[in-house]
Amino acid sequence: MSNRTLPRLLQTPAVILLLIWMLVPLSMTLYFSFIRYVLNNLRRPEWTTPSIENWRGFGNYNFVLNNQDFWLAVQNSLLIVCSILFLTVILGVLIAVLINKAFPGRSLVRVLLISPFFVMPAVNAVLWINMILDPVLGLQGLAVGGINAVIADLQNAPIIGPFFSLWPALEPISFRATQTSAYAVIIMVTWQWTPFAVLIFMTSLQSEDQQQKEAAILDGASAWSQFRFLTLPHLGRPIAIVVMIQAIFHLSLYAEIEIVSRGNGNKNLPYLIGEFANNNIGAASATGIFAVILANIVAIFLLRMIGKTLME
Amino acid sequence: MGRIVLENVTKSFGETQVIPPLNLEIDDGEFAVFVGPSGCGKSTLLRLIAGLEDTTSGRILIDDADVTEVSPSKRGLSMVFQTYALYPHMTVRKNIAFPMRMAGLSEEEQEKRIMTAAESLNLVDYLDRKPGQLSGGQRQRVAIGRAIVRDPSAFLFDEPLSNLDAALRVGMRLEITEMHERMQTTMIYVTHDQVEAMTMANKIVVLRAGVIEQVGSPLELYRAPQNLFVAGFIGSPKMNLIDGPQAQKHGATTIGVRPEHIDVVESGGAWTGTVGVAEHLGSDTFFYVHGTGLAETLTVRAIGDVSLKHGDPIQLAPRATEIHRFDADGLRLP
Repeated sequence: MSNRTLPRLLQTPAVILLLIWMLVPLSMTLYFSFIRYVLNNLRRPEWTTPSIENWRGFGNYNFVLNNQDFWLAVQNSLLIVCSILFLTVILGVLIAVLINKAFPGRSLVRVLLISPFFVMPAVNAVLWINMILDPVLGLQGLAVGGINAVIADLQNAPIIGPFFSLWPALEPISFRATQTSAYAVIIMVTWQWTPFAVLIFMTSLQSEDQQQKEAAILDGASAWSQFRFLTLPHLGRPIAIVVMIQAIFHLSLYAEIEIVSRGNGNKNLPYLIGEFANNNIGAASATGIFAVILANIVAIFLLRMIGKTLME
Repeated sequence: MGRIVLENVTKSFGETQVIPPLNLEIDDGEFAVFVGPSGCGKSTLLRLIAGLEDTTSGRILIDDADVTEVSPSKRGLSMVFQTYALYPHMTVRKNIAFPMRMAGLSEEEQEKRIMTAAESLNLVDYLDRKPGQLSGGQRQRVAIGRAIVRDPSAFLFDEPLSNLDAALRVGMRLEITEMHERMQTTMIYVTHDQVEAMTMANKIVVLRAGVIEQVGSPLELYRAPQNLFVAGFIGSPKMNLIDGPQAQKHGATTIGVRPEHIDVVESGGAWTGTVGVAEHLGSDTFFYVHGTGLAETLTVRAIGDVSLKHGDPIQLAPRATEIHRFDADGLRLP
């Protein structure tokens, strides 16, 4: 036996397991996406069993592409993922830099900062949409109502009254409305995932070389220059990691969308798959294949970006 | 110009005072070496001068200007760190250019100075590489290059050679000394290695627990150590320190004899013993002698190759004029 054979033999079970793990679901999805397969159809009961005789070719794909919700779902998936990534990375870097300095109560602040990450997604969505974003009973509704009341009072005041009478009464935003429900999802997921970014950036900041900073101080670098030329490049790698992991997670957001609007005008691809899967497994599988393609495009794009930051 | 004066400088971390009131003058163009065992406060002292630590009390003067409250970058000093502290994601060129970029120098001026520094440090071929692609010695040279381009009034070196292997260390030691001869700029160099101190310095400052034990030229310290600590610290191998009756014979509590001041003789030596380990270096031979009744081990240096082996009896003759005498407080007796 050559000295390579044994290691390879020992790796084989793991590799085979991984292949089965990935290939079986993928090939089943592919198979279902090319046949007619529904859960319930009284007129054509033969479609309720998956069989090669129900071959539909690209019919399911055609059906999905012509569905009015499909392109909206693709757009929405990208909008939600990109916005959350953008916000969490910026907030994460700012907060991590802020709490990297020693101050009294720092460890307590750190624990509190991490806590949103431990909230279940569904609970998070219910909390936000009912208690904070609700236009009547939520914090938002109360705040808008309060401001309006103050302005109404000021309008009756002498002297300054005429100035405030020009102000319009503020309208609370209904985040369950179709156009704004995506923003509600973005807000609540950003709140939940910023701690993850903070955690990763914080550990990275702690490994930053202090002598480099001191050298930069002696070289005359201002606090901003130190951040721009030392800290940000140092954070390049963790930023890439945060972007990659979060992209994978947020492409498959589901609970938040279900709770905020039940997919009403705000679907993403997983939600669309879920709707199809109520009955039409063939169409759901075809959408799943589109989702795989989209995920791959995003992954290639991200890997390029990460590769660039690592090479620099 | 670069005359640095410390006046009653102290430094405390919380309750612990690491540097009691300390006075020191370093003249323009001097090569001063702070030497001492680890934890003696020599690095802290350097960082105080650099401004990376705030003094607890006292004044620091550079060229007669009080810089105690001046920010590090405004003091006109350059520092070379033990870990080099290069910016890892910048090329060598950008690393060297960084202080000039921060100072807002023109591109042409930057390029001119980079090339001058790179040529004198043999870095021209590496300007577009990242620090990660360089060897330890090259990184050290980049760090020096970054320090040179600022045209500082003094250079501060914080154990710059301790991360290099022995051969490179000797080479860089020569290069830094050569650089000092050429530039005639004040340099302050911190090390725990007394060989570096002896070979490079004009002025050695021996520190122990934040206190200056002795200041002087290398040979002054070698010939007339002011106390037992300096006597034991300067010189390699270490001075033999003997107390007891033998010392009292010389009217001292402790006497010290350097290994090179004890002769190995055929007969009639004042001291006798047995050879322990013998190190034959060719040019010299070091004997570790036991059973003399003076100290546990006496170190003796003999010129050339002396063919005594482990366990052989040996006769030793200390040179009477080279015996250092110390009193009960460890201070030198005249």
